[in-house]
Amino acid sequence: MAEPARALRDPVERPEFEHAGIGAANTADVARPLSLFERLSNVDPVRKFTVLLSVIVLWEVYTRAANVPPLIFPTFQDTVVALWRGFADYGLGGQIWASMSLLLTGYAIGLAIGAMLSFIAVSSRFGSDVLGTLTAMLNPLPAIALLPLALIWFGLGPKSLVFVLLHSIVWPVALNTHTGFMSVAEPLRMVGRNYGLRNVRYVAKILIPAAFPSILAGLKLGWAFAWRTLIAAELVFGAATQGGGLGWFIFASRNEMDIPGAFAGLLTVILIGFVVENVIFRNIEQRTVVRWGMHT
Amino acid sequence: MSAAMTDARPMPVDRPEFELTPLDASKIGQVERPLSLLERLWNVQIVRNLAVLLMFVVLWEAYTQIADVPKLLFPSFSDTCIAIVKAFNDHRMLAKITFTMSSLFMGYAVGLLVAAVLVSLASVWRVWADILTTATAMFNPLPSIAILPLSMLWFGLGTFSLVFILIHAVLWAVALNTYSGFQGVSHTQRMVGQNYGLRGVVFAAKILIPAALSTVLSGMKIGWAFAWRTMIGAELVFGATAQGGGLGWHIFENAELLNTDQVFAGLFIIILIGVAVEYLIFRTVELRTVRRWGMQR
Repeated sequence: MAEPARALRDPVERPEFEHAGIGAANTADVARPLSLFERLSNVDPVRKFTVLLSVIVLWEVYTRAANVPPLIFPTFQDTVVALWRGFADYGLGGQIWASMSLLLTGYAIGLAIGAMLSFIAVSSRFGSDVLGTLTAMLNPLPAIALLPLALIWFGLGPKSLVFVLLHSIVWPVALNTHTGFMSVAEPLRMVGRNYGLRNVRYVAKILIPAAFPSILAGLKLGWAFAWRTLIAAELVFGAATQGGGLGWFIFASRNEMDIPGAFAGLLTVILIGFVVENVIFRNIEQRTVVRWGMHT
Repeated sequence: MSAAMTDARPMPVDRPEFELTPLDASKIGQVERPLSLLERLWNVQIVRNLAVLLMFVVLWEAYTQIADVPKLLFPSFSDTCIAIVKAFNDHRMLAKITFTMSSLFMGYAVGLLVAAVLVSLASVWRVWADILTTATAMFNPLPSIAILPLSMLWFGLGTFSLVFILIHAVLWAVALNTYSGFQGVSHTQRMVGQNYGLRGVVFAAKILIPAALSTVLSGMKIGWAFAWRTMIGAELVFGATAQGGGLGWHIFENAELLNTDQVFAGLFIIILIGVAVEYLIFRTVELRTVRRWGMQR
């Protein structure tokens, strides 16, 4: 059945007209130079430093005005003095070195083991299964839970600390490296095979650069876990015996009710963590994945 | 000159025509054959994983039985299994698990809530964005266990100081990832939301969170991992200084008493809970959201 033809309406004729000149419109500031304050507050570091400064000022003013006992919450000034005295009198520098050397030892060995495991895992399916099962089981196990066992096996000493650190580094690194390797695109692999690369050279020249974002994420996660584990382990050590290191410094200061000292230790921990995460790893990221355009 | 060069070019070689006789197909042997049952089983991922697990258990049992390792140093698998049963019967393991998990979930939930509030403030006002980024840059590298001695001083020995450091463990990791995820939401998707007239909470819930869900989820996973590690560590320290009562304390106490089989039982239960949370809860959430939506392989 055909649709009935719709009658078209006649077009409406509207009268012609002309606008009078609008003249100079009163449009105030279309573009104006920003004031010094506005320009300054558009700079990122300036704003962040202002935030930091205002936190410090608030802290200082609050603790002084409300007369908070220094045993509960010391002033910023006390903390800075305690930090200075920590370095001068209490060998804080030595404690930092004790912590960092342990951490670096554990990190280096952990990386070597993680690299070896993922190399085995890429070379055969069975190795991949072994690594997959091991990481699935052991990655969710907090490394610190192994500390009491490590103390039984290796005694009180750097050996059991390194063992615990190894556990916290190996699994995240191996897991991330392995998943990174697995998701390397097939064309890239074929380029490698086309060049006749095999084994170590294949891994070093094709797999590692292609999976670098994932490997770097694993390295960062491994660092974060190791750093937390080390401080926790030193706290337990500090509680169980006389250890050494930053965690012990915090624990000992707190036990002697030297709260500014504990704050100074925390400040040092923050500074080191900040430098490693935002200077070292940021730099590596900038020079590799960001520069190669692989950053997502 | 050019004529001489054209002449110097080699002439095409005339090769004789030939025809290949087809190969004798009967000499090739098996081209295709059905896989045997063993091969088909071996191709199933779970079977291989279980086989690896079984291999480790057998190796462990055989090593400890044959080498006669002292039970105090390294108990055998069967001892550990007996210890797990004993832990539930004699050591009130269920109460310990409940204690640990309830503090953990309280800290995790409050941490997520605070992170959500901070991130929403940060995505509306620039001042809050600066505060959030400065705070995360400062506090994210600070292991929350380091605050435990102070937290115990401020809030006393109890659940509250545990929850406080758990919040610290969860908050920064989640806030950092959520905020950077929100920042990375493409302008097109934001404009779609604005076009629909979405604002404030609805805008965040319908546009920002789904678009940034893979980073939000990875932040939640890292937050969980930190909280889990912090919880066990805190219970170990508590166990060292006072009578806590949880999984970490179970390990610490039994290590002090040289009940190594109970330590292994505690570790086993910790592994089981960790595996369950990571592979049952988070994997399921991932499968139903980001993987199903094709945002993550």
